[in-house]
Amino acid sequence: MKKITPEEIRQLSRYIYDVSGIALDQSKAYLFETRLGPLVEAHGLADYAELCRKARTGPGKQLENEIVDAISTNETLFFRDNGPFELLRNKILPDLIDARSARASKILPVSLRIWSAACSTGQEVYSVAIVLKELLQQDLNRYRIKLLGTDISDAAIAQASRGTYGKFEIERGLPRDKLVKYFRPAGAGWKIKDDLRAMATFRKLNLMLPFGALGKFDIVFCRNVAIYFTPQDRKKLFERLAGVLAPDGYLIIGATESLTGVCPRFTPRRHLRSIYYQLNTAPKNELRKSIAHRTGRRVSLTA
Amino acid sequence: MRNLNILVVDDDPVTRKLIEKKLAPAGFSITLAENGRRALEHMGRELFDVVITDLMMPGEPDGIGVLKAARKKSGYTEVLLLTGHASVDTAVEAMKAGAADYLQKPVNFHELMIRLDRIAEYKNLSKTALDLREAMDVTECAAAETIQELELRAAVLQDVLHKIGETLRQTDLAPDQRLAMVESHLSAAFTEVS
Ligand SMILES: C[S@@+](CC[C@H](N)C(=O)[O-])C[C@H]1O[C@@H](n2cnc3c(N)ncnc32)[C@H](O)[C@@H]1O
Repeated sequence: MKKITPEEIRQLSRYIYDVSGIALDQSKAYLFETRLGPLVEAHGLADYAELCRKARTGPGKQLENEIVDAISTNETLFFRDNGPFELLRNKILPDLIDARSARASKILPVSLRIWSAACSTGQEVYSVAIVLKELLQQDLNRYRIKLLGTDISDAAIAQASRGTYGKFEIERGLPRDKLVKYFRPAGAGWKIKDDLRAMATFRKLNLMLPFGALGKFDIVFCRNVAIYFTPQDRKKLFERLAGVLAPDGYLIIGATESLTGVCPRFTPRRHLRSIYYQLNTAPKNELRKSIAHRTGRRVSLTA
Repeated sequence: MRNLNILVVDDDPVTRKLIEKKLAPAGFSITLAENGRRALEHMGRELFDVVITDLMMPGEPDGIGVLKAARKKSGYTEVLLLTGHASVDTAVEAMKAGAADYLQKPVNFHELMIRLDRIAEYKNLSKTALDLREAMDVTECAAAETIQELELRAAVLQDVLHKIGETLRQTDLAPDQRLAMVESHLSAAFTEVS
C-alpha cells in the first residue's frame, strides 16, 4: 500500500472536510492509506496529492463520490443499541399516534414522517419499519407513514435502496424470527420484503448542506454521524435539525452522544432507561426566571 | 450487500450482452468493453471490484494482458477469466499470475453468481472490519468527551444542591433572604453550565 505523507494528509483531510464535513487528522494515516490507497492505484495516479488534485478539479463528481464512499464509515446494524427501538414501540409511536389521531379526520388520515438522517446501508430505517409493522399490524395502512433515509455515500444509499444484506450483515442484530418474517432469500443473502421496502424512500444528502426543503418530521434519528464532525459543525447540525422537527417531534441520537452543552434548543427527556430529545417549549432558563419572579413578588409583599 | 462494480471484457458481442442481461438484474453494475484496449481505458477512469475477461481475444492486450494490467494497478480488483475448453492450461497459468478464478465457456451463470457472491461477501467483510475499527475509535473519543462534559455538570449540580441544602438549614435567616440566596446559587450554577 502506498504511504501517505503528512502534507498529503493535510491536503486530503481539507478536501474531505470540504465535501463531507468529516474531520480527520494526522493520527488517521492508516485510514487514508487503507481506504484511499486502492483509489490511487486504480486510477493510475502517482500519489495521494494527485488524487486530491484530480478530485478537486473534476470533471464531474465521479472521483469525489468514490472518495466519499471510501472514507465514510458505514458501520451499522439492525436494531443498534435496541433502546431507541423499544422507546419507539412503547412510548414515541403510541404518544404521537394518540396526539395525531385527535386531529385527524376521515379524509386526512394520521400521517407521520420519520427521517433517518445518516442511514448508511439502511438497517436503521428497516428496523424502524419492522417496529411500525409489528406495532400497528394490519392497521398500518390506515396511517400515512413515510420513512426517509438519507446518507452522503452513494454506495450506502444504493444498498439501502436495494434492501439486500449478506449473511454477516443479517447476523448482526436481526433476530431469526424477524429475518424469516420480513426478508426473503436473494442470491447468497437476503432482501427486505416489498411491503416494508415500500414504506421507505432513500436519497443522497450531505448533512452539511441545507435540508430545510425536506419539510417537517415527527421523528428524526441522527445517530452516530455527528461524532465524525467538528464540535462547531455538530452544534450547527443540531440547530438546523431543530428547524425541521415538528413542535411535538422527537429527536433520537446515538447511545454515546449527548446534546448537553451542544444545542440548547433541545431538552433531554427520559422514558425508563432511554433518553430522547424534544424542542424546548418554554424559554431556556425557565426555572431561573420563575424563581426570580417568585422572589420578586415575595420581596414586594414584605416591603 | 454492497453492489459490485464489474467490467466485462469480451470480443464476442453475444457473450457480452448475455452477461450483462444476467448480472444487471441481480444488482451488479456492469460496464462492457469489446477488447483489451477499451478495457484498459475504462480501468483508468473507474475503480472496478471485478473484471471478468475472456482469455482469448484478438489484438493487444488479450485476456492475460488485461489480467496483468489489473494486477499491476491494484490489489483491489479481482479478475475472473472466461476460457474455452482448449485453453484450460493457459487458464491455470493465469491463475498463477493472480486471477481469482476461471470459468469455462459457455458460461454457467449459476456458477458465475456463486463466484461473484463470494467476492462480494469478502469485499463486504473487509470493509466492515475496517469500518468497525474506525467507528470504535471515533465512538470511544466521542463517548469520552460526552462523559467528561456530563461529569462536569453533575459536579456543578451536586455543588449547588449542597449549597441550597445549607441555605435552607440557616433557620436564623428570614425566608426571603434564604430564597434570594437560593436564587443566587442557582443562577451561578446556570452560568457555569451554559
Ligand atoms: C456510522 S454510520 C451510522 C449509521 C446509523 N445511523 C447507525 O447509527 O447505525 C455514519 C454514516 O454517516 C454518513 N455520513 C458521514 N458524513 C455525512 C454527511 N456530511 N452527510 C450525510 N451523511 C454523512 C456516512 O456515510 C455513514 O453512512
